[in-house]
Amino acid sequence: MSEQTFLVLTALAEEPLHGYAIVQAVEQLSEGRTVLRVGTLYGVLDRLVADGLAERDREEVHQGRLRRYYKLTDSGVRALQAEVARLSANVRAATAVLRGRGVQAWASRA
Amino acid sequence: MSNLERRYRSLLRVLPRWYRADREEEMVGIFLADRTDELDLEHSWPGWGETAAILGLAVRTHLAAGAALSSVPAKVVWRGEVVRALGVLGLLLGVFYATAAVVDVVAGDPGEPAPGWWRVLELGPLVAFGVLLSGRRTLAKVAAGAPVVLSLVALAQPEYALAWSVFQLPSLVTFACLCLGFHREAPAPPARRLLWWGGGAVLLGVLGGVATGAGVLAAGLVTVVVRGVAFVRGDVVLGRALSLFAALQLVPLLLLAFVGGDVVSAGLGVLLVFAVVWPLRRRPKTAPQAN
Repeated sequence: MSEQTFLVLTALAEEPLHGYAIVQAVEQLSEGRTVLRVGTLYGVLDRLVADGLAERDREEVHQGRLRRYYKLTDSGVRALQAEVARLSANVRAATAVLRGRGVQAWASRA
Repeated sequence: MSNLERRYRSLLRVLPRWYRADREEEMVGIFLADRTDELDLEHSWPGWGETAAILGLAVRTHLAAGAALSSVPAKVVWRGEVVRALGVLGLLLGVFYATAAVVDVVAGDPGEPAPGWWRVLELGPLVAFGVLLSGRRTLAKVAAGAPVVLSLVALAQPEYALAWSVFQLPSLVTFACLCLGFHREAPAPPARRLLWWGGGAVLLGVLGGVATGAGVLAAGLVTVVVRGVAFVRGDVVLGRALSLFAALQLVPLLLLAFVGGDVVSAGLGVLLVFAVVWPLRRRPKTAPQAN
């Protein structure tokens, strides 16, 4: 699973979101490291919908513009769970290795 | 409508009509969200990054990556599947030639003297095929591109440009199909089935390394036989891809046969013409499964 897909799934896990809200949520979740282009966002959404991990929700008109909401399916929740478990295992392994070298796992941000 | 909105809508025209009908308003809404400055709306243009992302989406949608979406027309699904099949066939031909080159070297027949890096790049299709099946698409494209780069060396001498065009364009077309068809969102290739195909290409390559003419002829014969099997089984995607593949290979073969008087090429050319003109079964009403 790509980082972009992971972040979109995470954004949708909280509540159904429309496209622009997904872009903003991904930017916040990644602390500004990932800024989704519209073309990229829809590539990810198409694949998620095709794989049954996300689906269309309601539609709204906001300031004369169409907003279509997307939500996670049960399969999407399970896929996110599995990915979180995989990444957590990796983090635990890396943390143990670093601790063995006497280095702390998280570098100071200051 | 502001100039900026007009420019974004123009950019979205690279997307297929069926996709725009479903998504254009939604996408324009995102492009213009929070953009209220009059000067910005009149004088700004879509950024390079946004343009590149939309072009990427255009490739994915024209080649039916979102095939499970409800509004994808069946012909778009066919197109995507045929392009991916053609890309794989080009790679299999590369596996055939790479294996033949290895057998040549092992058998102590170096052929034309070539530097070591040239020999290594020739193995590109073998590596590309393996990594494509393991799911590493970018690496597969880089490895498959190695012999293409190698062929560009010939262009350093302008007198070879015409010959290069005739003999390398088929490879370039299939390489382009591989690159365009196997993008990030495309369905994974059927690894188990393709392993058999790869094994067949290696066997033919061994034959080609031992007896050049016999190997090439056998590859042509296999193309025709598989084309026939595809017809009988009603596999229109494979049938169409094989027809295009055979048509691409015909160009250099016919030149060799008629200009060079090469009998093997003439025989193979006749076989491939058969593969090209063999009728496809009528399309069933349902589109093929994309995944």
